[in-house]
Amino acid sequence: MSVYARRRIFNGVVMTLSVAATGFGLLWLVLVLWTLLENGIAALTPALFSQMTPPPGSAGGLLNAIFGSVMMTVTGTLIGTPTGILAGTFLAEYSRGSRFGEVVRFINDILLSAPSIIVGLFVYELMVVPMGHFSAWAGAVALAIIVVPVVVRTTEDMLNLVPNSLREAASALGSPKWKVIVMVSYRAAVQGMVTGVMLAVARIAGETAPLLFTALNNQFWSTDLNAPMANLPVVIFQFAMSPYADWQTLAWGGAVLITIAVLILNISARALASWSTFKQ
Amino acid sequence: MSPATARQAMPISPPDLPRTEAQPALRHKVLIRNVDFYYGTFKALKNISMPLHDRRVTAFIGPSGCGKSTLLRVLNRIYELYPGQRATGEVMVDNENILAPGLDLNLLRARIGMVFQKPTPFPMSIYDNIAFGVRLYETLPRHELDERVESALRRAALWEEVKDKLQQSGLSLSGGQQQRLCIARAVAVRPEILLLDEPASALDPISTQRIEELIAELKADYCIALVTHNMQQAARTSDYTAFMYLGELIEFDETERIFTHPKEKHTEDYITGRFG
Amino acid sequence: MPSEHITRAYDEELRRLANTVAEMGGLAESQLGAAIEAVMTRDTELAAHVVEGDVKVDQLERELDNLAIRLLALRQPVARDLREIFSALKIASDLERIGDYAANVAKRSIALSQTPAVRPVHALPRMAHLAQLLIKDVLDSYVQRDAAKAYSVWTRDAELDEMYSSLFRELLTYMMEDPRSIGSCTHLLFMAKNIERIGDHATNIAENLYYLVNGTPLEEVRPKGDVSSLEVIMPDRAPQ
Repeated sequence: MSVYARRRIFNGVVMTLSVAATGFGLLWLVLVLWTLLENGIAALTPALFSQMTPPPGSAGGLLNAIFGSVMMTVTGTLIGTPTGILAGTFLAEYSRGSRFGEVVRFINDILLSAPSIIVGLFVYELMVVPMGHFSAWAGAVALAIIVVPVVVRTTEDMLNLVPNSLREAASALGSPKWKVIVMVSYRAAVQGMVTGVMLAVARIAGETAPLLFTALNNQFWSTDLNAPMANLPVVIFQFAMSPYADWQTLAWGGAVLITIAVLILNISARALASWSTFKQ
Repeated sequence: MSPATARQAMPISPPDLPRTEAQPALRHKVLIRNVDFYYGTFKALKNISMPLHDRRVTAFIGPSGCGKSTLLRVLNRIYELYPGQRATGEVMVDNENILAPGLDLNLLRARIGMVFQKPTPFPMSIYDNIAFGVRLYETLPRHELDERVESALRRAALWEEVKDKLQQSGLSLSGGQQQRLCIARAVAVRPEILLLDEPASALDPISTQRIEELIAELKADYCIALVTHNMQQAARTSDYTAFMYLGELIEFDETERIFTHPKEKHTEDYITGRFG
Repeated sequence: MPSEHITRAYDEELRRLANTVAEMGGLAESQLGAAIEAVMTRDTELAAHVVEGDVKVDQLERELDNLAIRLLALRQPVARDLREIFSALKIASDLERIGDYAANVAKRSIALSQTPAVRPVHALPRMAHLAQLLIKDVLDSYVQRDAAKAYSVWTRDAELDEMYSSLFRELLTYMMEDPRSIGSCTHLLFMAKNIERIGDHATNIAENLYYLVNGTPLEEVRPKGDVSSLEVIMPDRAPQ
């Protein structure tokens, strides 16, 4: 058999295997989504968004949990993002090549992949125990701690992508360093940085473990950040494990909500990224 | 005497350039004295001394790695952005040593403008690009700022092309236009000296010629230092040329003399393409 | 000239080059006119003036050389620009020779004026006038970049050559008839030869201009009307 024919066969074999593997991976994603939708679609009623979590055996919704999740996600993001951006700026703009910067980056990478339950425990010790009770604040702080390394990473990466010539051009006009960073580097990297924040938000939207130790849960409607607050992941945990059918349905509904939210965030982040490169 | 010997006796100099013996020397806007430069422990510039004349174009030529860009970057101390780079010696600008420690670098850089090889428009509108430098040190009412922007764009021969789209992003312009935008941005702050680091090397021939014509016009108001790897560009645009090699200044003279009758054989070998 | 260069200074320098050529040409033309007048009016002062005036022509040529070298070194000219500079250099050289010949005529007129006038001298102004016309026309063709006009100059030189041939015979005859006039006639002979050479240089200029405009040299063989070099002089009878 000729070399050419052998190569063609080998090519075909590898391609088939690759496609099969991809299909296999995608299959599970499709199955998960299908299962979610199949089971959760029944729960997607207007009641879901207007009623509180019910006691077992009665009908209800997830309003307090939705509100709690949104509240803590937003607060966590608001706490974590500025910290993350400033730290990322420090790494990219002020500590290039320095030993200290390398150490910071290393620690950040560790924190990035730290198990979130550890974060939860940490905040439990730090805030819940001294305060004497669970609270949404503690939950937000735990989420913020998860947000920070993601934002640091993306901010630093995006700022590193800004060409040095742009900074030099601004400096050459007599611009002080902070102005170079704010008015040139940030503006050049803004889309990447926003994408990073969106990805961080997508990450914390579904975190359960940290919230277990910090915000716990709340059966009733509450806007008090100083008290335990309902949130979707913990509610799902609680309801899914229960023997009650309507609770289980609600749990599926919650899962669908979280999934849709995360999907929307991820897809928007990517769309934003590609729109910005298209515009360039 | 025969025409041939008569020809050799007459020095080659056109009427519009000063002859250094007959007329008083041009004001030295910049005087570089015994400058050394180090990248870490590597000595990139060795004892450079030369003047830059006001309202004239001085070109730095030489093979890659000869230090011409390094020397240019000493003049506005842009190397200070990077640790491990340092310069020793003196650079007198109007009799003030700009290499002295404790000097306000930002103010210095507002007096000495720089244009880089690759066009670097900021990610903002054309108007804001030009106004950026002006706003750093002056608070002008809107109409005055508008005038400054317009005059800078006119000087850069860009006004006619962009006057209707000042709010569009600077990145929407072509390469040649972007570079002229950068030049406009540099002249908007009214510097005294302009440093041009291979300003046309990323551009097509027509844009290059436009930039060269622009330099010829700007020369009337600024002291211009031009780094170029294109010798012919130095021949076309400059009044004085400095030939550098491996960090040393080999020869500095009027451009016409360098390109018709250089003193150093090394210079002649380089410009005739006999090496490097 | 058609459209301008993007770099205005380049155009200015080329214009200066062309103007210097025109200035040289005008000077050469007037030098010839003054020289002939000095001959006919036997005005030694005018003749001396013409001789001094040749210095200016030489000076202009040096100036033009410097300008051309500078342009070649600093502008890297190509195509038409290169032909402009190249032609200007060659034309200047021809004009400088024309100036030299005119000065030569003037110089000899000083010697000539000290001897009694001879009859053939009257042929000289006609020759000179024709030569002047050739210079003027070829310079006009340079300023207008008119290759056709240059071509006509190129052909008319034959007439000047013929006039020289006939004057050559006339002078020989005169000298044979009256040996006392040999001195004057020899001077006149050289003067006539100078004027004939002026015509040849004007023709050179015409050829250079043709090359400048068309980019290719004039290939035809130049019509030569000077047969004096073929004259056979027998001691006992007049030339035919």
